[in-house]
Amino acid sequence: MKNSDALVLGIETSCDETAVGIVSGRKLLANVISSSVDEHARFGGVVPEIASRAHLEAMPNVIKQALSEAKVSIKDIDAFAVTAGPGLIGALLVGTSSASGLALAMNKPLYGVNHLSAHIAVDSLNSDHKLDPAIALLVSGGHSSILQVNDLTSDVITLGSTIDDAAGEAFDKIARILELGFPGGPAIDLDAKSGDRSAIDFPRGLTLARDLVEHKYDFSFSGLKTAVSRYLAKTPEFIRADVSASFQEAVVDVLLAKAIGAAKEVGIDTLIIAGGVAANSRLRALAQERADKAGIQLRIPPMNLCTDNGAMVAAIGSLAVAKGLRPSELGFEANSSSGITHPIF
Amino acid sequence: MSTYLLLDTSTSRTSVVVVKNGEVVFSEYNDGALSHGETLPKLVAAALKVSPQIDEVIVGMGPGPFTGLRVGISFAQSFAFARGIEWQGVCSLDAIASQFSDKDFLVAVDARRKEVFYARYTEGARIGEPSVCQPSQLGALQLPIYGEALNQFPDPSAFVGIANSNKAYSAPIYVRRPDAYPAPVGVKFRAMTQLDLVPAFAIEKAAYGKDGWSMAQFKEEYLGKDRMYVAAEFGGELISYAGVFNLAGVADVLTITVADGHRRKGIGRELLRRLIDWSRTQKCEAIMLEVRVGNEEAIPLYTSFGFIEISRRKDYYGPGKSAIVMRKELK
Repeated sequence: MKNSDALVLGIETSCDETAVGIVSGRKLLANVISSSVDEHARFGGVVPEIASRAHLEAMPNVIKQALSEAKVSIKDIDAFAVTAGPGLIGALLVGTSSASGLALAMNKPLYGVNHLSAHIAVDSLNSDHKLDPAIALLVSGGHSSILQVNDLTSDVITLGSTIDDAAGEAFDKIARILELGFPGGPAIDLDAKSGDRSAIDFPRGLTLARDLVEHKYDFSFSGLKTAVSRYLAKTPEFIRADVSASFQEAVVDVLLAKAIGAAKEVGIDTLIIAGGVAANSRLRALAQERADKAGIQLRIPPMNLCTDNGAMVAAIGSLAVAKGLRPSELGFEANSSSGITHPIF
Repeated sequence: MSTYLLLDTSTSRTSVVVVKNGEVVFSEYNDGALSHGETLPKLVAAALKVSPQIDEVIVGMGPGPFTGLRVGISFAQSFAFARGIEWQGVCSLDAIASQFSDKDFLVAVDARRKEVFYARYTEGARIGEPSVCQPSQLGALQLPIYGEALNQFPDPSAFVGIANSNKAYSAPIYVRRPDAYPAPVGVKFRAMTQLDLVPAFAIEKAAYGKDGWSMAQFKEEYLGKDRMYVAAEFGGELISYAGVFNLAGVADVLTITVADGHRRKGIGRELLRRLIDWSRTQKCEAIMLEVRVGNEEAIPLYTSFGFIEISRRKDYYGPGKSAIVMRKELK
């Protein structure tokens, strides 16, 4: 095996997707996802115990399907990778224990990886472009961060993150108020298509001069949420699509203003947008428009690789193998709130 | 004869045993209720140094605290899959019972939330499926009780025999269902208005009798400053209300009351979620509440939201009716 063609199997279980991906170097061979999202929908959010039970049940079949999709045998796998955090601890442990079982059985290296780095690393797949340095905007149900990626496998700095709700969480909550269902992101995206995004001028959190001193690259969505509830309370005849579109515009506008601002100020001309919210159609369109204007190269992974998946975990594992990084220590600790400075555990 | 890898993570102990041709060739354990994930791979790596060849895996399926339990099971199923060998699950309590020979006894392990998972053994055989209850209920049976409280843990070296004589389990023995209730159907949540005061007072009286607020108190509490009240209605009728008070940056839950006949449907959960959301918008650093000692419906709900007990107030609700004070940080 050449290190750069290593076959790596990655496992992701940090939230409600049980996912396994297989890559060969930077080539994607398989990406299988089993989601328990339908079971959570009736509770209006992810229930950790239900997610963990579903991971354990789904895992054997997801692994088998991924191997069969990649047309390889478990014996062919050169290294394993698994999300070790951040995420729901009970859910993470099903993934790390399954991965340890595979790696010990086959006597192959295992890399515990950071979930956020993996979201960015998925951009490496099926392409041979230079990966770093880059600025990454990572937006999902659990995270909203701007990261400075000096080296994807060893040096990622958090420039800013949300001080209250994650962007995806804000979508879920507003969707709940608008009775659009769970998960909120796709529902609002769809509803907003028939609305006027300039109909209501909702606030952009942490963009005032006094906020920028301390929170230049941080986000806040709780004020926006309150503004939407207040608007609905005093506007009985509100037009739902206009509320969706204007709310979505407020989120997307502030995400991009700060991310592109970071790229310009740090002096890095590549912006990667990743995470579940990167599937939002308005975010994608406005990002392209603004990146072109700023002379910044924009990279957004394909939609199916933006939400949680195993391919992204395999991708960062594969980059670690290619660089000859040491595998994680046996029994590394899954960590529900791990930071990102060390992408490999 | 075969070589068995035997694992158990159903209690605070993580145990790994290898039995080869009927003999124990490796047996190690490590204690720690939160460290199964880190311990198990290390112990198995050590076991594989002694015996690289494994023909079958048997794992304890509990009952036991779920997070740790799943560590052993997920490890066992992937290890067996990768090696192309069989795996099966047994009841972990049976591997505690195997250490005792009383005619009639109980085995109990910690189930969290002041409860235990247990099973009864008579004439060397388990009676029925494992269950869950409060320890005091077991004490009433006046039988010997073995298990975790006496530092007695499942012994995986007994798994081979148990697997041969008892039924196998292919899924974890959870016993309890997940603590989640579907979003209440047909219930409408909205701000509470003055018009709700009369029906709310009727619910208050039915729920708390003379321990509840008087109408005058209710009105005063409702009209006070820095408060937010929400109501739930079903079929146009008020069925529940809740209120919170922002007292100098710490939110205090004033009441969460659900009318009889509408409890255990997730209404209190939804109301509490709204009180917490409001407290966050007020930039409160924490939210606090009082709950009556022994309120077995409310306390698990609060705990699931991350409230923790910080103190107790004696006779808070009247003589002999003490309160637990709970707090959840919002930062």
